[in-house]
Amino acid sequence: MNVYLVRRLLYFVPTLFGASLLIFALMRMVPGDIAEILVYQTGGETADVQQREIQRIRRELGLGRPLAVQYLDWAVHALRGDFGYSYTQRRPVADILAERFPRSMELAVLTMCLAVAWAVPAGVLAALHHNRWVDRLVQVASLGGLSIPLFVTGLLILYVLVRVFQWLPPLEFTAFLESPSENLKQMIWPALAQAYYISAPIARLTRSQMLDVLHEDYVRTARAKGLAPLRVVFRHGLANALLPVVTFIAWWGGRMLGGVVIMESIFVVPGIGTALVQAVSYRDYPTVQAIVFVMALTFLIINLVIDLLYGWLDPRIRHA
Amino acid sequence: MNLRGLARAARRRPLGALGGFVVLGLVLVACLAPQLASHPPKDAAFPRHVAPGTQFRMGTDHLGRDVLSRVIWGARLSLYVGFTSVAVGITLGLLWGIFTAYAGGLADGITQRIVDVLMAIPPIILALALMAVLGPSIDNVVYAIVILLAPTAARTIRSVVLGIKTTLYIEAALALGCSHARVVIRHVLPNVLPMYVVLLTVNVGYAIMAEAALSFLGLGAPPDEPSWGGMLSAATRAIETAPWVMLFPGMAISLAVFGFCLLGDAFRDVTDPRLRQGLG
Repeated sequence: MNVYLVRRLLYFVPTLFGASLLIFALMRMVPGDIAEILVYQTGGETADVQQREIQRIRRELGLGRPLAVQYLDWAVHALRGDFGYSYTQRRPVADILAERFPRSMELAVLTMCLAVAWAVPAGVLAALHHNRWVDRLVQVASLGGLSIPLFVTGLLILYVLVRVFQWLPPLEFTAFLESPSENLKQMIWPALAQAYYISAPIARLTRSQMLDVLHEDYVRTARAKGLAPLRVVFRHGLANALLPVVTFIAWWGGRMLGGVVIMESIFVVPGIGTALVQAVSYRDYPTVQAIVFVMALTFLIINLVIDLLYGWLDPRIRHA
Repeated sequence: MNLRGLARAARRRPLGALGGFVVLGLVLVACLAPQLASHPPKDAAFPRHVAPGTQFRMGTDHLGRDVLSRVIWGARLSLYVGFTSVAVGITLGLLWGIFTAYAGGLADGITQRIVDVLMAIPPIILALALMAVLGPSIDNVVYAIVILLAPTAARTIRSVVLGIKTTLYIEAALALGCSHARVVIRHVLPNVLPMYVVLLTVNVGYAIMAEAALSFLGLGAPPDEPSWGGMLSAATRAIETAPWVMLFPGMAISLAVFGFCLLGDAFRDVTDPRLRQGLG
């Protein structure tokens, strides 16, 4: 286990380094002068104030220095949790992250829980009733989930809520700790919309894995020795079928970070996704760089945790 | 394939045939957009938010443009982005994958780490970062999707080439004194082509969805362009009073993605049933 852990960690660090380098390089490839773009975007002041601002930003970001020095400077500050200053929001980027990141994570976790809660049982049921109506129903439902894009599902849910229940997404965000019910009232809809979308591949995979496993010899043996049918399904069937499902869920968990951006903008959740979209449209590059980096970091950590979990669940992996 | 063969294939895979039918319909609509659309897509010459009726089959939007005409022109934009980005992205991935797998060694190691890095950033987030650098325009959306597609395609092609490299016929060709260029072009390339075709079909739906997502977030096609995603984004502001502005482009995107999904699945099953994992 230790060798596996070390090898996996050795892979994590260079990838994270590479990702940070890539993001940094991208932001420096912007045509034109970043400082000028930042100042003219937020604009409104007189020309000489703007000139002074430009000089100040150039100094702060160290735009005159060699790229390698600029990168190292950024990386060292980022490691200390200092991601620079957002010129459009006029506050440190770290503050934006601290305020908005937990909200987006809440949405992502809620989405995943809802998706797994419905998709895994549906996949198991479909496999147990292979080629019967339950199976067909699950397959049709998941085909719909696969082909209706996320933002269409989100808008349809929003339309029904607005039309039937006269509900509008509140403009004011309520934190979960402040009032769980108010918070869930806001978060449940984007979570449901995205859960429907991601539950489709999870249900399909659970179904096909269960079908494979249920035809294994050890399942037949378990049945033959007279174990209770449900025990066979759960202990011998599901336990083995779930392994690939777990990795798949993790893989989707990472992709979901992107989906969260879309759900947040439909349901007006002031999370990290809306912050990113706003930063991109105002060309607030320091903020874009920080948010993309944090997203990549989260994605890599999810993958790391899942790989370790997988190695722990399946002894064959860690000895390979 | 002759017509009878096509009919037989369609009967064996009804879902794939349905997908092919949808795709064919979309291509026709896109080609005939100038003839089919009754109004220019950017022509804001009508009353705003007119409900669907005899004059405007799908109503008008918040600027008084005919939604039906924009949906029709939107097919052209979606297919343009879908086809060009997939053709360029997957072809780059093909060349990249063949090169790294065949060269092996350090070149392979380095490019694989580059792919790891590109895949370490969630796709939509990477696309957003790219759009931040490139600025919003339709061609830049194509570039962004190319950068999303190429590494994943390269990785898939690489694994296929690694398999081919160990086969006896490659060994035989090398033993006979074929140059590496000849081995790659005459022996490796023809054997990865089925996978290449599958990747092409499977990813068009994904590319169309990516374009719509970027435009929906307001960072893809400029707002006056008839992009389905952009139309949805404008529709959210009047979702209660003018739902038709949202419903029709939404249906168009779903139909297109659905069609390409079914067609891609059928292609995948025919060429290689083991390859179950698309970009989804």
